[in-house]
Amino acid sequence: METVRTYGHITQVELTAATGLSPATISNTVKRLVAEGVFRTQSTVHSGRRAQLVSLARQTGLLAGVQVGQRVLRIAISDPSLNIQRSKSLPLPLSHRADTTLDRAALLIVELIEDLGADVDELTAVGVCLAAPVDLETGMISVPGILPGWEDVEIGAVLSKRLNRPVSVDNDANAAALAESRRGGLRGVKNGIYVCASYSTGAGIIINGDLYRGARGIAGEIGHVQVEPTGLICTCGGRGCLNTVVGADILVESLRLSRGYSSLGDVIREAKAGDIGCRQVVGDAGSQIGAVLADQLASLAPSKIVVGGELASTEELLLSPMRDAIESRPLLFGAVALELAGLHGESEVIGSLTLAYDEQEKVNPMGISPERAGGFSQKAVKS
Amino acid sequence: MTRTPILQVENLTKNFGAVQAVNDVSFSVHDHEIVALVGDNAAGKSTIAQMVAGALVPTAGRILVGGQPVAMASPREAFALGIATVYQELALCENLDVTANIFLGREISTNGLLDVKEMDRLAREFLDQLGGRVPDVHAQLSELSGGQRQGVAIARTLVSDPSIFVMDEPTASLSVSQTADVLNYIEGLREMGKGVIFISHNLTDVRAVADRIIVLRHGRINGEFRAHDASYEQVIAAITGLVHG
Repeated sequence: METVRTYGHITQVELTAATGLSPATISNTVKRLVAEGVFRTQSTVHSGRRAQLVSLARQTGLLAGVQVGQRVLRIAISDPSLNIQRSKSLPLPLSHRADTTLDRAALLIVELIEDLGADVDELTAVGVCLAAPVDLETGMISVPGILPGWEDVEIGAVLSKRLNRPVSVDNDANAAALAESRRGGLRGVKNGIYVCASYSTGAGIIINGDLYRGARGIAGEIGHVQVEPTGLICTCGGRGCLNTVVGADILVESLRLSRGYSSLGDVIREAKAGDIGCRQVVGDAGSQIGAVLADQLASLAPSKIVVGGELASTEELLLSPMRDAIESRPLLFGAVALELAGLHGESEVIGSLTLAYDEQEKVNPMGISPERAGGFSQKAVKS
Repeated sequence: MTRTPILQVENLTKNFGAVQAVNDVSFSVHDHEIVALVGDNAAGKSTIAQMVAGALVPTAGRILVGGQPVAMASPREAFALGIATVYQELALCENLDVTANIFLGREISTNGLLDVKEMDRLAREFLDQLGGRVPDVHAQLSELSGGQRQGVAIARTLVSDPSIFVMDEPTASLSVSQTADVLNYIEGLREMGKGVIFISHNLTDVRAVADRIIVLRHGRINGEFRAHDASYEQVIAAITGLVHG
């Protein structure tokens, strides 16, 4: 049962592999728990064969995920199995203000829950992921300048005061890595990395199946690895960080004179449409991110990398030069798989829901009302 | 490589008797571009919108569409030139469904009979292009939210495939989630290659989607910013007249 809870959805075949129990035992256990209303099964196709997809039955209780990016606010409301019920994205201005954005986030959560026909009381926990490193001990951003104006804000406290629910806050790439590791492309991968190539670049590192955050939550900030010792000064204050070379501003600026575009969306759209200049820019960004990544891989030695973020929607235009940069190192040749994130542009927002899920588990371990928890936990022990 | 703007406004001036509502205003709009007009009340934002939309005739100055000077005596003529306007008060019919509203007055017929299937398909297509969340094209308009109605109003203008959209305070008096819908519609128009003139009081909304911000003050342009590097403080200083652009 714990395995189903961790993965949200899992086929019976995968359950067998994950628990080490025999297929017959799994089949019987699932049947019994479906009869008891704990699990729900759906038919699906897995590796070309029919399979039973097992998930927790829809319980009362909703989770809210909030993704605060540099230019977008995404909100998702899900059931306890992380099936997204409602979601919405709101474009944000550059260097948006913490008070306005958090106020709008709280209002959006309430509006979406009402839109769902549910009551705000059903909300059990909120997860927030931010485009900046977060110190888990303080719940605040640990490095100034990356999300200007947000450094002194106790984000968790502000939202939990508004919504009266526990709130968990983490870095967006970390949250996405968590989601990819449980439900996406890094599922079953012991050591893996999620790379977010967006307005800025970051990564989330999974070591031994767990998220590695490092001191002050800075682990995985590959956007702040120095690539040009004489380069521009970065938002973090350092010189020549990867973000000063592949950040959205720089990519767009390099096309302004010849193309006149003014947003990352333009560059991505035109690259997909075949514009050679835009393809060049995306490809070069891929090489540069790949080179930085290759350095990290030499010391971390993961077996798989998944790539998400806006730039990843150009697919092989970005991934192929990244792969080339990695494969050019003899140590890494053929040793690391690189592919698109499994959650297709939703890694971060599902990551924030995962944070909410974990938070709710901390507060109320079975995720169900206390009077029913006794009965279920007994069954869980039996199974 | 310079692109020809799809809309240019040159030395536009509008007087109402002794009141000079708009004074010598020039700007341009390109395809794939959202230009925001911001300013205090009576700064001339809506007057400019009405002149571009053909509802008012300029006292002086000219308007160029696709590089050609045009004279527009009515909104109908502006519409024929590819300028669509979505007003604050949406002109939609509460008692009709979504498709009927979108095609009202421009129904598609084959052999004298209404081609309902084709209209439903196109309505769906327009709404999907906008990235909107109108689930059912047969829903009565009265069942839709404010944001969805904005979506229908914009979809309605897409029927004639205009190149320029003038939107006057589209996010006024909407809830946050409806505002999100409308901002996504506006970004959708930009993705489709349209030029958008976005008039609003709300600087958060403006800075979220605009490529350029033009600040009007007492009918004159008092600052023009690339949204990319304009801070709240700079824009507000221009609106309040703290600085003169």
